Amino acid sequence: MAEEYVVQMKGITKVYPNGIAANQDVDLNIRKGEIHALMGENGAGKSTLMKMLFGLEQPTSGEIWINGEKVALTSPTVAIATGIGMVHQHFMLVPSLTVAENMVLGMVPKKSGLLIDSGSAIEITREYSEKFNLHVDPTARVCDIPVGMKQKVEILKALVRGAKILILDEPTAVLTTQETAELFKELMSLKEQGYTIIFISHKLAEIMQITDRMTILRGGKSMGVYETKDESPEKISRLMVGRDVVLKVEKGKAHPTDTVLRVRDLEYINEWGKKMLDKVSFDLRKGEILGVAGVEGNGQKELVDMLFHLNQPNAGSVEVNGTSVLGLSQRKIRSEGVALVPEDRMLYGIAEGGTIEENLISDRSGSKRLNRGPLFDMKTIHAECDRLIKDYTVLCKSGAQQVKMLSGGNIQKVVVAREFSNNPKLIIADQPTRGIDVGATEFIRRKLVELSRSGVAVLLVSADLNEVMELSDSLIVMYGGRISAYFEDTADLSDDLMGEYMLGLKQQAPEEVGRVCHE
Amino acid sequence: MLLQRIFTTDFFFSILRITAPILFATLGAVIGEKAGISNIGLEGIMMISALFGSLTAYWTGSWAAGVLLALIVGVIVSLLMGFFSFNLKTDIILTGVAVNMIGSGGTLFLVKVITQVTEGTALASTTSLITKSVQVPSVNIPLLKEIPILGDILSGHSVLTYLAFLLVFLTWVMLYKTPLGLNIRSVGENPNAAASVGVSVLRIKYIAIGLSGAMAGLGGAYMSMYYAMGWSQDMVAGRGFIALAAQAMGAGEPLGSMLAALVFGLAQALGIKVSSLGADSNLVSPIPYLVTILGLVVFALVGRSRARQRHSAAALQAAAAK
Amino acid sequence: MNKKQSLLFSLVRGTAAILIALLVTTLLIFICADAPDGASLGAAISAKLTQTGGALHQLLIGPAFRSNGSISAKNLSDILAAMIPTIFTGLATCVMFSANQFNLGAEGGIMLGAFVGALGAIYLGLPAGILPVVCVLIAAAAVGAMMLIPAVLKAKLGVSEMVNSLMLNYVVMYFIKYLLNTHLADKSKGQVQSYPFQADAAIPQLVDNGSKLSWGFIVALVFVVLTALFMYRTRWGYAIRMIGINQDFAMYSGMKVGGIVILSQVLGGVLAGMGGGIEMLGRYTAFSWSALPGYGWTGITVAILAGNNPAFVPFAAFFMAYLDKGCNLMSTYSGIPAQLIDIIQALIFLFFAAEQFLSRYRQKLVVRNTQAELKSKAAQTEGSVK
Repeated sequence: MAEEYVVQMKGITKVYPNGIAANQDVDLNIRKGEIHALMGENGAGKSTLMKMLFGLEQPTSGEIWINGEKVALTSPTVAIATGIGMVHQHFMLVPSLTVAENMVLGMVPKKSGLLIDSGSAIEITREYSEKFNLHVDPTARVCDIPVGMKQKVEILKALVRGAKILILDEPTAVLTTQETAELFKELMSLKEQGYTIIFISHKLAEIMQITDRMTILRGGKSMGVYETKDESPEKISRLMVGRDVVLKVEKGKAHPTDTVLRVRDLEYINEWGKKMLDKVSFDLRKGEILGVAGVEGNGQKELVDMLFHLNQPNAGSVEVNGTSVLGLSQRKIRSEGVALVPEDRMLYGIAEGGTIEENLISDRSGSKRLNRGPLFDMKTIHAECDRLIKDYTVLCKSGAQQVKMLSGGNIQKVVVAREFSNNPKLIIADQPTRGIDVGATEFIRRKLVELSRSGVAVLLVSADLNEVMELSDSLIVMYGGRISAYFEDTADLSDDLMGEYMLGLKQQAPEEVGRVCHE
Repeated sequence: MLLQRIFTTDFFFSILRITAPILFATLGAVIGEKAGISNIGLEGIMMISALFGSLTAYWTGSWAAGVLLALIVGVIVSLLMGFFSFNLKTDIILTGVAVNMIGSGGTLFLVKVITQVTEGTALASTTSLITKSVQVPSVNIPLLKEIPILGDILSGHSVLTYLAFLLVFLTWVMLYKTPLGLNIRSVGENPNAAASVGVSVLRIKYIAIGLSGAMAGLGGAYMSMYYAMGWSQDMVAGRGFIALAAQAMGAGEPLGSMLAALVFGLAQALGIKVSSLGADSNLVSPIPYLVTILGLVVFALVGRSRARQRHSAAALQAAAAK
Repeated sequence: MNKKQSLLFSLVRGTAAILIALLVTTLLIFICADAPDGASLGAAISAKLTQTGGALHQLLIGPAFRSNGSISAKNLSDILAAMIPTIFTGLATCVMFSANQFNLGAEGGIMLGAFVGALGAIYLGLPAGILPVVCVLIAAAAVGAMMLIPAVLKAKLGVSEMVNSLMLNYVVMYFIKYLLNTHLADKSKGQVQSYPFQADAAIPQLVDNGSKLSWGFIVALVFVVLTALFMYRTRWGYAIRMIGINQDFAMYSGMKVGGIVILSQVLGGVLAGMGGGIEMLGRYTAFSWSALPGYGWTGITVAILAGNNPAFVPFAAFFMAYLDKGCNLMSTYSGIPAQLIDIIQALIFLFFAAEQFLSRYRQKLVVRNTQAELKSKAAQTEGSVK
């Protein structure tokens, strides 16, 4: 029985030092020569599991068996030697080098002892390219080739180093439809040649198309392994997207009034030519929490970036209370009453080396209230910061403590304390409770509801199903850069239905989606 | 008439002579930058190597020994810089500033100790120590020197001058035709990619900074053993910094940076020529530095418009593909 | 790690850096020390050791104490006077480095400031009391304006402010040398110098003992306070520091990054220029600098030792001036060249700025601290449960 499995991960548990369990007692069995999908939403534990298979991380407990032998995959080098290759989501390529040079990096063929035998490198590249039907141009520079070809180079890199087991991490995230079709042809060809492929993805349609079996992860646990041909997309959707515990939030009913945020026909094509936003239009009103649900990578990040001028759209308009905010400086955007709780709090949200106080006043350092003439009014600043620390229950020694000493949840509370306290008219909360403890999570969610009921418009972008379904009054689902659904009332929304829209199985008609535009 | 007085064959000869030390340092900057290292300390390394090179030549009576030791000293100092920057995590710019301090004050200290000169005397130097016999020899290339005009310009340079320009080609070969060069460029552009295929990023960085120091070492030897006779205070006069600008203007490529270095050589030669015709040397000396600032501005403006073009081209392409 | 431990760690690291530098210094002195010709190895070594001891005494004790053990007031006032230019360049560098701008132009800046101040002192017809003040002010303004060049080029075009400022240092030096040798040269004097300053231009002395410790010292201290206030108690200093810590955060929070980048460098120029003007009018009666004075580089060391905090600049400046005096004494009495100070400076700040220096020791402190915290927290919860 064990011989047919080329990869066996038994009882894998991974607990990080901060206490978060990324994988809990997961079993993964891969047969030789199959294309096996590893599925789940973001945060389900797929990437972590594969990192352990590639030696980038070590399991807290559990065993890994390759080809019937128990192994300790302590580093990528060991994994490669064991015949495992990984194609990362963010390519490990050197842009100014040619395809052939990237192929042979670290194992360069030499001539006359000192020089690169580029002829040989090109030969090797062509040989592998033809053998596996992965068409690449050996002499082209990586910076000049399209994304699809870059991916092929990455696959060839793994193959030329002797990989028999290929892990592909969200390979179609950066590909156009055309390129995806090509990739699938190549994968089938590899399979015919006896290679084993593990395909990490959350794109249901693709999985159904190309895989033999699938293992579904949810919340760090395995939901089982299934034969693809035996399952329906709906059933898979239910297994992937669902909440084991439904957290009800005391909300009260929303009474939304005037439109605060008006987004019309927003379009954006990213640097690789992929359309990330496709005529997105919606309105957000005073006093409501509008959730933006969806699996990550469907345009949510790009949408938020547009709203805060961290990026510029190709077309479309964004208005806050009637004023266009496209292209405005962050200072002007904030003066229109917009606040942003950023997805990456360490990059944008805080200045790590600064004190809590310094981080709390960063958006209001020039205000008359905090200044007396040229100098800061330290008494008022201390008082305001102490008040914020107390109101937002930031666990710290004092406002003078360095913010990097705080736990993740408390750092987020500092961000939130700042963003919520400058009388915002519109709050954009992007993954506001990701990676933080339960106490802080509850606190922040309660605050969002409180603010919304007092008249603030809240745009809640979240990949956490509980959060986006329970906290929002209404919500839109994003899929493939479009709004695939608008639900005016989240009250009796079922997980299954959500799953189907999130995974692209269903798409509302334009009239239904259009109801999110209230003007 | 004036132009004829300025643009003599001697003038063009002097351009090559003046450019050579800048070129050495520039190549050092190029190699370092390819590995992602901003070697601010080239100036200091040149000073230190200049001193040790000329002293060694004096003590051993052999110019070759002097040049060799200058190169070795350059490597040692740059490896130490690497230790502080890569291992102890001192900001590489500060490490460079420290090396420059040692290069200016530390060398003077050493010279005073060696020549037993005490306070009160004017600029210390080892000028008296370097005689014609230990100077780097010049060569007259047999057939080349017969060619009218071109022969006078290209023949008769010191061995090191020819080496400098030869090294441009060799650097190019190293970077683009050898596995080491491939590794250096990978480490500089995407260290993660290099590490993922088993290349030791730390080792490559040390090699790169070592090569960078070697180049600066040769530049220092050039200064004290050919350009001038012996070491004197402040003799490098910012060439190590001009090299950084030349590297930037040459887009980090050996050939382009060589051209940029030649531009500075030209500016300086012009200045010297003009001052020999009567203009004040202090008005003429700042020319290379001003040209550097101008060059960087022009380069930045060009880069900016090119980026804008690329961006709009990409957008058009993407739109057309729909 | 709490604040007290953080301070303790910095202290230990700083002391270690200084000790290492002194160790190397001792070694160098030993190598340079004279040994009588033809002496045996043992005799030579002991002769050298004696000399080394003497030299170290001059270096470390000499500046403060005379040979008879009494405190040398003259030496101390020399040291304080020597601090004047380096306090200003130290402040200038603190401001610029705080915004992560590696502008190394304080060197050219202080020279230009001195020159402009000298020009004012020679030619401006203003009454006493006002004349020196105006001279210093125009010196500060001139250098502030000059710093616009690297500042604006960096903010608008992203051109390296470091290379630009280094180039400007040389341009300034030659420009001044030209004027000094031609239009401003006082041909009647033996050495190259400008026409003499008007008597009214001189900044009055604090003590009358030839140390040239002028009221400029008090002004320097005033500016230490003003700069510290600016950096920690105003919105512009705050913005400068936040941009230095995390530029993305500053932009996202609504700060104008480009403007602050320019401001930090211009302010650096103003401070360096002021230092130049004050130094020139407090110590000299004519302008004779024909090379860059070196105060800019010392200013960098001072800023690093002070951790970019203006409040600590006077202490760092005192420390460097003390050592410099010591090196001068060593050179006078032991024949060890005074340039040793450059080597000492470089070593101190190499180790000081090395983040990983003694990092394992810091790691131990952090671990011990966390364990203690966890223990006390556990005890607390146990107590409350009971």
